[in-house]
Formats: sequence, structure tokens, C-alpha cells
Amino acid sequence: MALISVALGRLAQAFLLLLAMSLVGFLGIHSVGNPVFNIVNIETATPEDIRNATIALGLDQPIWHQYGVFISNVVRGNFGTSYIYHMPAFALVISKLPATLELACVAMLIAAPVGVGLGLLAGRQSGTVFDRIVLRSSVFALSIPSFWLSMMLILAGAILTGWFPSGGRGATASFLGQEWSVLTRNGFWHLFLPALALAIPNIALIARLSRSGTIEVENLDFTRFCRAKGLSPRRILLRHTLPNISMPIVTIIGLQFGGMLAFAVVVESIFAWPGVGKLLIDSIQLLDRPVVMATLTFISVTFVALNAFVDLFHAVLDPRVRLSS
Amino acid sequence: MKTEILRALKKRPYGQVLTVPMIVLATYILLALAAPVIAPQNPYDPLQIYGWEASSSPGTPGSGGYLYLLGTDGLGRDILSTILYGLRISLVVSITSAAIAALIGLTAGVSAAYFGSWVDSAIMRLVDLQLSLPTILVALIAIVTLGPGIDRIILALIIAQWATYARLVRSVALSETNKSYMDAARLMRLPTSRIIFRHLLPNSIAPAVTLIPIEIGHAVALEATLSFLGLGVPIDKPSLGSAVANGFQYLLTGQYWTSLFPGLALFGLIASINFVGEDVRRHLDPRSRPV
Repeated sequence: MALISVALGRLAQAFLLLLAMSLVGFLGIHSVGNPVFNIVNIETATPEDIRNATIALGLDQPIWHQYGVFISNVVRGNFGTSYIYHMPAFALVISKLPATLELACVAMLIAAPVGVGLGLLAGRQSGTVFDRIVLRSSVFALSIPSFWLSMMLILAGAILTGWFPSGGRGATASFLGQEWSVLTRNGFWHLFLPALALAIPNIALIARLSRSGTIEVENLDFTRFCRAKGLSPRRILLRHTLPNISMPIVTIIGLQFGGMLAFAVVVESIFAWPGVGKLLIDSIQLLDRPVVMATLTFISVTFVALNAFVDLFHAVLDPRVRLSS
Repeated sequence: MKTEILRALKKRPYGQVLTVPMIVLATYILLALAAPVIAPQNPYDPLQIYGWEASSSPGTPGSGGYLYLLGTDGLGRDILSTILYGLRISLVVSITSAAIAALIGLTAGVSAAYFGSWVDSAIMRLVDLQLSLPTILVALIAIVTLGPGIDRIILALIIAQWATYARLVRSVALSETNKSYMDAARLMRLPTSRIIFRHLLPNSIAPAVTLIPIEIGHAVALEATLSFLGLGVPIDKPSLGSAVANGFQYLLTGQYWTSLFPGLALFGLIASINFVGEDVRRHLDPRSRPV
């Protein structure tokens, strides 16, 4: 019972959060520039044309009225029509989603095992040369600006060696009614560099977290007991240490998965990967207001959902969370 | 001789200050300060730029009587000079925004803890809203709202970063407000502003201060990213980030130097700030010391 009320409370907070987000975003986009001039041809339009277009788009109404119309439309899943692509904005965002999703998934599939593995090994032998190398290089990896990392990956992996293509999505294969690059050999080559660019900072983050967790757990009585019992170091590490440090790691994986959607903005722009992030940047530059709103709303909904999912996962993983809530 | 000096430095109480990242960072700051003196060219002065020498590879001699040590970009600007001048902009933007963000965040966090009730919930809901989103997204929304320009980007970075300080200082200040010295200050009927700024803030500021170097590093990276996306500083006065962005279109034709060298400089700057920031935190906060 208590769990349900906590969940409902969280959901209510999340909705308030989203409402605030949408208001901020709406006012923001509104103050950037008049989108009418993207619809009409500035050179040939008469003031009459501009007025007609303004009325047709509803831009002549006061801003609070525009926001009211927008919210009632959003509740019905309608973000309006893109000024540029002339198709429903939300459908446009959803159509770009598989590309971003597969990019983020592949990046996390690289980052999580590598990061956890490095962290466990470094933490078990803390203070050794290996540990110090992991710690040092993690600071370097977290310091690389993601756009420069992407460009250097293009330089090293595409231009100098020619091993990988420098951009685009490559060949795709159809699965569940969507096109996926990861299913074809050519598409996977296209996917690899951008996924690596997204994964590298996350490897560092996850490795640092699991390293500090491992150091903490390795000093506890139960690991000493395991060692006294004569269990192999690998079994202690994987069956006893790993489950005990999994909480913060699952949290950071969940949250970073959302963070990848944000960093995809940069990586997708550089690799010309046709996903949600590239759509956002293109739409900001083209003043395509419905698409910007739909994208921002979509990303924030994803964040709220991920936060809730991470919380629920905590309850599954850790009995103490279940009891206290 | 050298080892003796090093040993002497290490013996001094503050010998630990002279670490490699610290020296690198100090060099960066000196280079930024001395840029107008040591840069071979003023990249903002069109009279010193020779357009026909655009995209020269590193080591090409230029008409100005100097060597293009790191090559020139697509407009004919000397990359080395662009880096030195861009360094100034990156540092000014990030240090200014981190300082103001710290000021606002600390004030907001301490006030939230002191006043409690609706002030606390109003400030902290806003903080929660911001911190639940990635910083890059908040900065992106802010800069889209504010438009381009150096003053705008500073403002966007402040908006993106103040919440971190607010949450940290509030959590410390909350436990301080119940201590007896705070009761004493209240009983003495000191003015509220004096209690907050002279008693509560100095006693809860320590963990937040250790955040500042790290946040400056974040600010450098954020500014560079926004500028790279074309939403930051104007292209005629490039920061390190926009210098890299300028080189992007030439990268695919194999002119690596226009993006490689400014990016390396940027990477080194952020890395040295992060290492220094980590050292600072390790020295000031014994809990984060590695076992």
C-alpha cells in the first residue's frame, strides 16, 4: 500500500516537473524569433500574406492563450505540424527515435561491461600501477570534450585509416516495422564510431564508481569471511562484491542512458546520425518551434520515466529500500 | 642539483601544491594573460591576416615574417594565435560564470536552509527540476532562450550551474542551523543578513568551495560544446570550442590541424583543471581520500 502511495506521489511530482519544463521551453522558443518568416518567403510576401500566415498558425493570439492551446494539444498527443517537414511534429520525433535508441543502447552495451570490469579489477588491487592507470585515464576520459572526441575518432578511424565510414547511418534492415543499422554489417560499421564516442566518458564514470564501491566492500567482514572460506578471488568478485556494489552502478547506468540522449545532440550532429539529437539542433537553427517543443518534451518524459524505473529497480535490488518505503 | 630543489620543495608544507597539473594550469593562465605579447598574430585584426594563406599546413612560412607553426585556418588565421586568444575567452567565460554561479547558488542554498518552509521548497523544487536534467540540456535550453553572444553564454552557464552549489550548501547548512552558535546569534538579535552571511555561510561553505575548480572545468567544456553547436560565442572572436568548430568542415578534406590543435589545447586545459580540482577535494575533504 505504502509503495503505491509513494509511486503516485512521485508521479504527481513528475507531472508538475514536466509542466514547468514545458512552460520554460515554450517561453524560451517564443522569445527566439518570429517563425512566420520561415513559412512565408520574405522577398515576395506582402504584409497581407504575413498577417494571414500569422493568423493561420495562431501566432496572433496572446502567449498564454498559445500556451493553453499547446498544453491541451499535448495532452491529446498533438504537438502541431512541423514548419519545415510539414508532418506532425511528434511523429517526426518518434520516426528519429530508433536511430538514437540503437546508438545509446550499443554505447551502453560497450560502456557498462568495460566500465564495471575495469572498476572491479582496479578496486580489488587498489594502489597498484593498474589501479592508478585506470584512475588517471578516467580523469582524462572525462575531460575530453565529446565533440572533439568525436572529431578525433573520425580523423583516426575514418580519414587516416579508412577503417570506418565518417558519418551517416549506412545500410539498415527492417525489424518490427523500423529500420535498424545494427542489424546489417555496413550499418554496424557506421554505428561503431559514434557509439564509441558516447561510450568513452561513460566507461570512465562507471569504472570510477565501481572502483570506489569495490574498495569499500572488499574491506567488509563478509568478503574477508569469503576469503577465509577459500573461495576463488574471481567468485568473490563476481558473486559477492558485484551484487553489493550494483545499486549505484544501476543508478548511474539508468541516468547516463538518459544523459546519452542529451549528449547524442553533439555526437549525432558530428556523425550526421539522423536521430533525435540532430533533429533538435537542426530544428533550433531553423526555428521549427513544434519540433523543438516535441523533442524537448520527449526527452524530459524519457528522463522522468528513467528516474522512476531506476527507483523501482532499487526496490527490487535492495530489500532495505523496500522496507523503508 | 635539480633533485635537491625538488626535494626541498616537497619538504615545504605547501610543496604538494606544485603538482604537474598545477604547473600546466598555471602555464595556461600565464599564456592567456600574455597572449597579446607572445602571439605571432592578432587574429581579430583583419590587417594582420592574409586570406591567400588560408589552410596552410603547419610549418609554412607566412607573409607576416613569421612561421605558421601550427598552420592556418580556413580564413587565414594563425592557429597558434587563435588558440592563445581563444584561451582568454574560454577562461574568462568559465571563471566568470563559475564564480557568479557559486555566489548565487551559495546564497540561495543558505537562504533555503535558514528560512525553511515555503522559501526552502520554492528554491529546492527549482534545484531538483534542474538537477534532474543533464547540465548540457539545461544550458542548451537557456542559450536557445537567450540567443548568442558572450554575455548570454555566461548567463546560460550560470543558469546551468548554480543549482549544484545550492543543493550541496543547503544540505550542510541544514545541520548547522540547529547548532547552539546559531541560537546565540539569533538571541543576540543580529540582523538576519548578518546571521546568514557572517555565521551560517562561513560554517557551511567548505564542501561547496571544493566544487568550484571542478565546475570551472565543466564550464569550459559546456561553453566549448555550445560554441561548437553554433549557439555560443561569435565566430569572429572564437573561443577554443568555436576554433575547433571552425576546423570541422575542413577535417573531412584531411586538414586535421585546424581542429586538432585547438582541441588538444582545450583537452589539456580541462584535464589540468579536473586533476587540480580532484587534488583540492582530496586535500580538503578527508572522506574522499582513497584508502
